[in-house]
Amino acid sequence: MILLLILLIPLFTSLFLLVFRNAATVRTIALASTILNLVLTLTLVFSGQTANYAVSWSNVIGFSFSLGYDGISLLMILLTNLLFPFIILAGFNTEQKRAEVLYALIMLTQSALIGVFMAQNAVLFYIFWELSLIPLYFILLLWGGEGRRNITLKFFIYTLAGSLLLLFGLIYLYQLTPGNHSTDFSAFSQLNIPGGTQIWLFWVLFIAFAIKMPMFPFHTWQPSTYTMASTQGVMILAGIMTKMGIYGALRFIFPVVPLGVLYWQNTVIVLSLIGVIYASVIAFRQTNLKRLVAFSSMAHISLMVAAMFVLNYYALQGLLFQVISHGVTIVALFYMVYLTEQKTGTLELPALGGLKLKAPNMAILLLLVVLGSIALPLTAGFVGEFLMIAGLFQQSAWFAAAGGLTMILGAVYMLYAYQRVMLGDQNPAFATITDIGIKDYLVLLPLIAIILVLGVFPQPVFNLVEISAGSMQNLLHSASALLPIVY
Amino acid sequence: MSALILSTVLGIILLYLGLTKQKGILAPVAIAGLLGTLYLTVSEWGLGAAYFHDMIVFDNFSIAFNATMIIITILIFLFGIDYYKMMELHVAEQYALMIFALVGAFLMTSFSNLIMLFLGIEILSIPLYVLAGGKKASYRSNEASFKYFMLGSFATTIFLFGIALVYGASATFYLPEIKAYIAQFNGNLPPMLLVGLLFIVIGVAFKVAVAPFHFWSPDVYEGSPTLITAFMATVVKTAGFAAFYRLLTIGLVPMPVPLEKALWVMTGLSLLIGNLAALRQLNFKRLFAYSSIAHSGFIMLAMLSQNQNTAGVLLYYTFVYSLATIPMFIIFILVKRESNGQESLTAFRGLYKERPWIAVSAAVLLMSLAGIPPMAGFMAKYQVFVLSISKGFLFISLFAILMAVVGVYYYFFVVREIFTEGEHPKPIIVTSLNAALIIVCALAVIGLGIAGWNIPI
Repeated sequence: MILLLILLIPLFTSLFLLVFRNAATVRTIALASTILNLVLTLTLVFSGQTANYAVSWSNVIGFSFSLGYDGISLLMILLTNLLFPFIILAGFNTEQKRAEVLYALIMLTQSALIGVFMAQNAVLFYIFWELSLIPLYFILLLWGGEGRRNITLKFFIYTLAGSLLLLFGLIYLYQLTPGNHSTDFSAFSQLNIPGGTQIWLFWVLFIAFAIKMPMFPFHTWQPSTYTMASTQGVMILAGIMTKMGIYGALRFIFPVVPLGVLYWQNTVIVLSLIGVIYASVIAFRQTNLKRLVAFSSMAHISLMVAAMFVLNYYALQGLLFQVISHGVTIVALFYMVYLTEQKTGTLELPALGGLKLKAPNMAILLLLVVLGSIALPLTAGFVGEFLMIAGLFQQSAWFAAAGGLTMILGAVYMLYAYQRVMLGDQNPAFATITDIGIKDYLVLLPLIAIILVLGVFPQPVFNLVEISAGSMQNLLHSASALLPIVY
Repeated sequence: MSALILSTVLGIILLYLGLTKQKGILAPVAIAGLLGTLYLTVSEWGLGAAYFHDMIVFDNFSIAFNATMIIITILIFLFGIDYYKMMELHVAEQYALMIFALVGAFLMTSFSNLIMLFLGIEILSIPLYVLAGGKKASYRSNEASFKYFMLGSFATTIFLFGIALVYGASATFYLPEIKAYIAQFNGNLPPMLLVGLLFIVIGVAFKVAVAPFHFWSPDVYEGSPTLITAFMATVVKTAGFAAFYRLLTIGLVPMPVPLEKALWVMTGLSLLIGNLAALRQLNFKRLFAYSSIAHSGFIMLAMLSQNQNTAGVLLYYTFVYSLATIPMFIIFILVKRESNGQESLTAFRGLYKERPWIAVSAAVLLMSLAGIPPMAGFMAKYQVFVLSISKGFLFISLFAILMAVVGVYYYFFVVREIFTEGEHPKPIIVTSLNAALIIVCALAVIGLGIAGWNIPI
């Protein structure tokens, strides 16, 4: 029941918000609803029990409305509900046209995202997966920046093309299930698909997730979309939507086509590591701060994909830890980007500089976030990335070497960007800017606190995902015994 | 049967009511009459009544399709109340002709004899030729009418020729007997019979605008009065596909291999031509014409993947398609009126700013047509793919899915225009009846997508 509540609170808030006209009221209600949802999620986390909710709605064509969770889903739900209050808060005291519609769409996105992470049925998963895209499309189209008409359409079509392939795979799996066909994940994971089929089926299923993450070479929608998106839109995209791809792969691909995973393992890792280096180098060459952060996000996500496919326990734990850590860090980073633009009116690095002189507190907080992003020890980023690189090392030292470049190159471009924004001579045009205010502290301090606390005390997250990560590990272990058949 | 008689009488009554010069009473009478017809139709559910030496059989299949076509026609008439206010002349004839066309549609869903199919197609088509030319002063409308008439007659001739050839070979018009006759050849059909069957299929394919017999449809859709275009795109298409399905199931299954190949080619071409040509369209009606060809491709895919669910999927698909298409045409009429008759997609600009609820409904309807969950259009496409993938048609299914992506692309051209700022010369006027109907349709599309997907026929 509590699952249904967590799913429905944002949905009903979304409808309820449309009644109001006053932007401040709308934001307050949205914030209250997200905080309530966060509290409910935390009770779920601390109760330590599993809860399921299933109604067999209309069980034709394999559909059933069943919600549930395991450690991985709970982690994702926690991340979603943890970030949304900050995403809402980021909009306070800003000029937003038609605020009630904007926040209704944001809440609808939240509901759909939670649905994705809770669904225990593949069709339900698919419906929520697509549903999360629709409000986001409108958030980007109506509140986006320059060039949004074409960029949003590209983003939408690109991700949808992947999803439709997923739909094909889903129906293919559905008709393979024995007896009275079903699309429950549990039924899918019991399928014994022949190795030859798994090899092509892997890509049919994986491309949707690869696009969402995005993994090299399916990333081309991402930089322009991030750059154009409004602050809140990009926070949802980078903070949570990217994790949808990772979650989908863990849920959909590993249990269903394990032989396919093992067969393509090295291909995917190499592609991801190319993505790491590629994105880092491009990030270094960017002159736009938002674009730079967009590419940095891609570099980190690419490392996560590589870690996902090395299939060992360290890497998997590191990956799941990094899901939280990256989500929190990237949201904080994009908030900083927004602050910079709001204060100076530009995001072009050559035009920026010397902000520290007028906004010292902002400089300190940005430094903390940047350090978290480049995975300095004692920040959450370090724990995740260290484990992932340790996992990569078990596969091959070369993989670890290439993966380790995220940290090094990350430090290069992030610190370089920090230098060009905060340090140096003050641009005379910025003589009148002020330091950050109360709202900014409210957004940034908790996020930074999470980054630091998890950096020192990461155990709670590991406890949360321990069982699921272990079972996934066993699954692939037993599959690898079958692998010689495929070759 | 009584439904058939009532609707014919209704058409004649409407013609006479036209003499009273009172436009106001036409729509209520027509709608009341159609509701009566709907009742009579549904009351025959499960009886399987056959008439005229089994030339027409009102089985559950035909009753279900007739009922949806009546509902769609009622919807069109409800929208017509506002539409025909602007029109001075011959309103009664318009209503009457649409009802006569509906009578033809009834025959097309319930035949079991090729002559009845021919009669049904003709009774459906001849009123449409007239209706397409409804705007007498418009050059485009005249062109549409003439083109439709010429090409339609041509298709009819081929169709008749096909019937003659089949009769020449099998000495019967009854489909079950033809089926038995085909079965005795074990797949090696004599050329005369095969050519005859192929010609019959071509005749029906022309009516439903399946590529490569689609060339009439963009021009006719564009030139006809928009309400008639909506009628053609929905009721006529539903009737055509019901007839097509009936022809295949009671006459031609298991299908002769050359015929099946021909049908697969038609499916692939419809998906390809419909979707790719729609990409380049700037005119809304042409866009919908091509997208309707693309939808024909999906329906063909379902039809060729026959199992016991196919009829239900077909019904669901056509109904959901109609339910989304009609309000879109109406919204188009509304924005076109206020942008000086401009028919390009840019006419939709500023709709969201002026009429947010209509704009949101339009977005829902377009998303349903594009097949995005949780709208009904997604469930329709999903079921089609379940049918085709379960039958093992993997490559054509993958191709269809790729084409569905293209479909999303051009439907979102329209969505994008709706949500783009723009100025209309005059404010968009939406009568409260129209607004209510549009919103109800949008809600129905969501509702049908979430629950109630399967009608066992």
